[in-house]
Amino acid sequence: MQSLYYFILVPMVYFAVAVFIIGTCVRLFNIFKASPHPTTLQIYPEKKSKFLGTLLDSLLFPTIRRHKPLLWVFLMVFHIGLILLFIGHLELIWDLAIFQIIPHDPFLGKGYLGLIMAVCLLFFLFRRMLSPVKELSVPEDYYLLILLFLIVTFGSEMDWARRIYFYEELTVEDYRDYFVSLLVFKPELPDGIIFSGHAFMLVLHAFFANLFLIFFPFSQSMHSFLSLPINKLRRG
Amino acid sequence: MDLETRNELLKLFKTKLNQAMRLYLETCTRCGVCIEACHVYASTGQVKHIAAYRSEIIRRLYKKHFKLRGKFWPSVGEAKELNDMALEELFEAAYSCTGCRRCMVFCPFGIDTQMLMSIAKLLLIGAHTEPEILTLLADTSVEKGKSIDLFKEGFLQGIKNLEKQVVKKWALEAGETAIPVDVEGADLLYVALAGAHSIIPAAAIFNAAGENWTLSFFEAVNFGAFVGDPTKTKLILDRIIKEALRLKVKEVCICECGTAYRVMKHLSGTQPFTVSSITEVHARYIREGRIKLDKSRFNQATTYHDPCQIARNAGIMEEPRFILKHLTDDFREMSPEPEYNWCCGGGGGLVALGEETLDFRMKSSRVKADQVKETGAAILATACENCHTQLDNLNDHYNMGVEVKFLSSMLADALVQDGSRRVQPI
Repeated sequence: MQSLYYFILVPMVYFAVAVFIIGTCVRLFNIFKASPHPTTLQIYPEKKSKFLGTLLDSLLFPTIRRHKPLLWVFLMVFHIGLILLFIGHLELIWDLAIFQIIPHDPFLGKGYLGLIMAVCLLFFLFRRMLSPVKELSVPEDYYLLILLFLIVTFGSEMDWARRIYFYEELTVEDYRDYFVSLLVFKPELPDGIIFSGHAFMLVLHAFFANLFLIFFPFSQSMHSFLSLPINKLRRG
Repeated sequence: MDLETRNELLKLFKTKLNQAMRLYLETCTRCGVCIEACHVYASTGQVKHIAAYRSEIIRRLYKKHFKLRGKFWPSVGEAKELNDMALEELFEAAYSCTGCRRCMVFCPFGIDTQMLMSIAKLLLIGAHTEPEILTLLADTSVEKGKSIDLFKEGFLQGIKNLEKQVVKKWALEAGETAIPVDVEGADLLYVALAGAHSIIPAAAIFNAAGENWTLSFFEAVNFGAFVGDPTKTKLILDRIIKEALRLKVKEVCICECGTAYRVMKHLSGTQPFTVSSITEVHARYIREGRIKLDKSRFNQATTYHDPCQIARNAGIMEEPRFILKHLTDDFREMSPEPEYNWCCGGGGGLVALGEETLDFRMKSSRVKADQVKETGAAILATACENCHTQLDNLNDHYNMGVEVKFLSSMLADALVQDGSRRVQPI
């Protein structure tokens, strides 16, 4: 079992991150090496600030707010949640003063952020199961949502196990040691990570996160990188 | 489909894969925000007419033939091989889309379905399964550009006949030559459609405004764009560019034809002349006081249909409203925001296909008819030949009870003839 834990928490993580970085770069390179479209593809009326407009289109999804307000609420909560969870993971590597503007213990959200995101993901998933979005969807769309659901669910449970059920042997310092050891290519698995009562949650969380990272460059998740340039086309 | 044909078609597909096209092909999350955007879906309720569904037909082929995952794990993105059945799907998707780009206003990424459908249209041309009539019309336009001398005499004779009509109705405004042709050094080259309705009112207004203008030998419509053939689109466009350069005009004015205007405006590149739509030019004449209008000429409630290629896709929104304010006191907006206006359902070559598409055009544009009826207007003005034909058909089919009019014709009919510019009518 420990070998399996090691495989998921060390070599698979390296592999997943490598696939994510290389795959994303290759896909972006293939798109942007192609010649630009010779004419404008914008939509009128022309807005004053094209750059600001593009940025707002990419970050605030105004067209969704207008046409599907309920979906917009879930999407905004989900995407803000993603940013906060990203910050939360960074805090497991470094103490970043800028994130302590509102003082808090790592990890951000105390597991409830993950719960909120899981609810959003269920909303997206069930929405895809209903016509006519169902007819538009392809298996990839479901896989991604299910993967993300599993990631945030096990991620949140780790936090709850530590806070609510007092599985305190796996500490923030253990996470930090583990992450930093991966970063400096001297992988170490602290005892807390392998032997704590809820280690399997971490392993499952990492396993699904690895799968997600591997799948990312080949999936529609790339919209996170492509949203800005594609929205720029519409703004002209 | 044999392997050789498929490879040839895939080569054509590849020619379309520029940066924008790749972004459009790779970014869709199938969120469904575009569901209500398409007038065909809104009118028929058929899922196959949702913008994302149409685009996915192209995207599946792209995944299969140009993406790694389509080769190793096709089912994850439902990647599909290009075969005869796929061509049938492409035909249905491409020729049920009018290229109005209303879905772009809805999509959180601004994916351009018209661009994606241009892949479908090109593949259909490659497989010789495109609507033949559109290719024939495009070929005729190209041929006319190559051998203008053959057409010249007949064209000039036709213009002489039209001049009589211009003089008859707007005698006081007609100059020495009511419809000047081939005038080197003219300020404005007017590119009309093959039809008196596109030339006579325009001539009256140019003459009334004292414009130093000349009529193009060529018709503005670009059938190459309708059929989705980039080479023919360019050849048809180049005829007009060459003529404008030869005559050293300062401005090329495109008649009331949405596609012609957008193609000329966006594809002609940097030239020593500017490109304007006739609606822009007319608004300018009013602003500069070069023409006078009799507002009492139209005293019925009037609404305006924004042609997609002129308004949403080329930005001419303010000018027609400005003109209509000078033509009527009872102007009624059809859509609170012009960029959200429903397409008439006739674009993308559908009107050019005539009776063949009539049934589909009527069924797919019910929402447009409802929108017009809701205004309660008696006059429905527009500034595009295709839209005019389609709206006329809708008027008959849905008993809309309106009179469909060209904006330029309304303007010409309301001209106050003071004869100040009269020279010698022919």
